[in-house]
Amino acid sequence: MIPIDNVYQQVLALANKEQRGYITPQEFNLLAARAQMSIFEQYFYDQNQADRNLKNSTEYSNPDEMLDEKISVFKKVGLISTSAGVGTLPPLLYRLGMVYRTNTEIELEQLTEEEMLYVRKSPLVKPSAIFPAYYRMNHTQIRLYPNIGGISCNYIKKPTRPEWAYVVVNEKALYNATISVSFELHPSDESELVYKILSLAGIVIAKPGLGTYGDQQITSQITQEKQ
Amino acid sequence: MGLITQTAQLYYGTGTLPYGGYQFISLVDVINNFRVAYVGEDKIISKISRADIKFHAMRGLQELSFDTFKSCKSLEIEVPPSLKMTLPQDYVNYIKLTWSDASGIEHVIYPASKTSNPTSVIQDALGNYTFDGSGNLLTQPVTIGSTTLGNFNSQSTTTDSDDLDWDDVMGTKYGIDPQYAQSNGSFYIDDCLGFIHFSSNIAGKTVILKYISDSLGTDEEMKVHKMAEEAMYKHIAHSILNTRANVDRNVVATFKKERSAAIRNAKIRLSNIKLEEITQILRGKSKWIKH
Repeated sequence: MIPIDNVYQQVLALANKEQRGYITPQEFNLLAARAQMSIFEQYFYDQNQADRNLKNSTEYSNPDEMLDEKISVFKKVGLISTSAGVGTLPPLLYRLGMVYRTNTEIELEQLTEEEMLYVRKSPLVKPSAIFPAYYRMNHTQIRLYPNIGGISCNYIKKPTRPEWAYVVVNEKALYNATISVSFELHPSDESELVYKILSLAGIVIAKPGLGTYGDQQITSQITQEKQ
Repeated sequence: MGLITQTAQLYYGTGTLPYGGYQFISLVDVINNFRVAYVGEDKIISKISRADIKFHAMRGLQELSFDTFKSCKSLEIEVPPSLKMTLPQDYVNYIKLTWSDASGIEHVIYPASKTSNPTSVIQDALGNYTFDGSGNLLTQPVTIGSTTLGNFNSQSTTTDSDDLDWDDVMGTKYGIDPQYAQSNGSFYIDDCLGFIHFSSNIAGKTVILKYISDSLGTDEEMKVHKMAEEAMYKHIAHSILNTRANVDRNVVATFKKERSAAIRNAKIRLSNIKLEEITQILRGKSKWIKH
């Protein structure tokens, strides 16, 4: 978790240092959510890339494991409520992982709707209680074959929207830690988060130099991380 | 780490048949093991759906059931007056048919290869074919059967010693055809209708059908003898690699060889050759044979 006030103060400090203006809390909150989602989404693509690269066996610097650690903050296990062969996914689901029977831990295989049509007609691979399967009906529901209950899933939850909350004292916004919501990202992503917000702020407050500065910093950081 | 999950007291005490389940591994476990050992990053198969593994595993189980696994399927009935036996629900092919005598000794019944149960056309008095109102050819109902089959059922035995054909050529030929030189009786399998027909001399006798299935009839049957476990893994791996695009053909060829070797090993192991038993048989090598 990254404290939101830390990030806001850094963003303000860097923006003021460049004499490029002030970012209001409302603007910051908007940009913070966007930046968090952008970094969060990039985790999955980075992991995909790391999967394809050569691994090392060091304890703390294996890129694949580092990314898994970052994603682990968002990993959840939830129950899927079922009715007439239709399962309803947990409400905060962002990416669905393994679906399995809660009591026996038998995995349900994910198929496409088209595959399911043919698989159900094949005597050898037809879904059964021992080899169940499902397909995604829409973003909140799955269709189960056979019609079974007691289903759980591993999933990645959607990051909570960050918010720098404040109270106005003497016409100044004063940070309110009680109702603020911090970033859920891994602490190692703090500087990237700051630069990302700066990059976006450059567009919002029409200061291209600020955006360029943020972009350069991100590029430099990525180059250092992935060289 | 040990694989036994129940206590000895539970195993020996409950009296739940069948015993000896430790010699087998379930197909579900084979599929799960295969997935763990062969599928994943830096393994021979990087990604595959479980349905594909399941398909090839079940096909492997079928194939090995036909010629590698020990068959323990058998059915015993008393031959009814209709002289026919319904094929078992999970029948794929027979191993042998026997009838057992009062001492419980089995006598092999041989197939009558020179008979069949053809569709019998109903003809009028002049021998012309007859048709129904829709113009379809009229045939005897399958429950009645053909004249050929009726005649086969009514014969008492198939024995060369009394064969009239041989009597006709007495003095011009000699010797008998060994395949008919027996009086145990004969059977004919009508695969179209799913019946085994017996010659009439077997009526009322206790007949035993030993047959093979494909081991996929019920969930309980879907198991592999541990001596053939490796053969199953190799079969699945080869089948998957052989049906995938962009797999180096040398890799496929390697797995083909490994599969053949593993199946050969399984066959040798499961043929249950014991040195003492072979020795005992070979002790008869010096026995005098009277002519």
